[in-house]
Amino acid sequence: MGEAAMTVGARPGALVEESPYGIPSRKLGMWLFILADAATFGAMLFAYGYLRVANPDWTRPFAFWPTIANGIAMTVVLLTSSLTMVAAVAAAQAGRQPASLRWLGVTIGLGALFAALHLREWIAMIGAGWRLFRNPMGGPVLFGATFFGITGLHLLHVITGVVVIGVIALGFRRGRFDAGHVETTGLYWHFVDLVWMFVFPLVYLLNVR
Amino acid sequence: MEPRPSPGMKMYVTVWIGLLLIVGAEVALTYARFPVGRLLALLLVLAVVEAGLGLLYFMHLRYERPSLFWSLIPALVVVLILMDHFWPDALRLMHQKLGAGVGAP
Repeated sequence: MGEAAMTVGARPGALVEESPYGIPSRKLGMWLFILADAATFGAMLFAYGYLRVANPDWTRPFAFWPTIANGIAMTVVLLTSSLTMVAAVAAAQAGRQPASLRWLGVTIGLGALFAALHLREWIAMIGAGWRLFRNPMGGPVLFGATFFGITGLHLLHVITGVVVIGVIALGFRRGRFDAGHVETTGLYWHFVDLVWMFVFPLVYLLNVR
Repeated sequence: MEPRPSPGMKMYVTVWIGLLLIVGAEVALTYARFPVGRLLALLLVLAVVEAGLGLLYFMHLRYERPSLFWSLIPALVVVLILMDHFWPDALRLMHQKLGAGVGAP
């Protein structure tokens, strides 16, 4: 019986109906979570857009060095981590567990590097006087609220992803989890990457001096 | 369940390079000093292309049954379109503040 054909709570011998989507329920659950989370990020980005449009004197504080250069580095790191994640999933599905674990390790390292770069940027901004409701450049105070709010929610997703990939990798090594779990975790990780594809241009590039 | 084809690492690397090139284009457009409205439109189009590539290839949506795509994506698009109802109020506030001299030269 295929994984997708299994029904939660079905008794042995019961009539089993295949999923109309052809995927296991845990993967469908992850897709539904991603849908809800995409709406959450969408709402936050719309709120940021609303505030930006409503405040014609919106602050545009970012110079190429260090902020945009750091943002480019973070984007490259996150995109590369998506590539290593698909390599981990492909290896897991091909039954190459050691290779999959190595790629998962690289993905965790890149995720941690992204978080470190992000935190370094935050520390520099806080050192320059930026707070959730304080703008050291004298413009609308909501810049800090939107910037730290949106990037903070994304950073929380990255840190959560790093921890979850670590847990899944450990379970996969011990035989507790299978390639399907690695694939479902990969979906989450790609989603975190996908959200950054909107955060970087809208929150960073549109605020270049 | 029928086996799902996999695009293979060569395709993944091609998509990754494409995504990096799009990020480079976004940065180049930013420093081309377009008016903010046009820059926003260009960046949004490129971000949607990036998201599409990520969804279709990295997240494998292209290789799943069409029923999954049609159950998920239109719902999200409708939700995002519904959020556009708030722009007139933001524009009202902008005109009000511009009328009061905020941001005026």
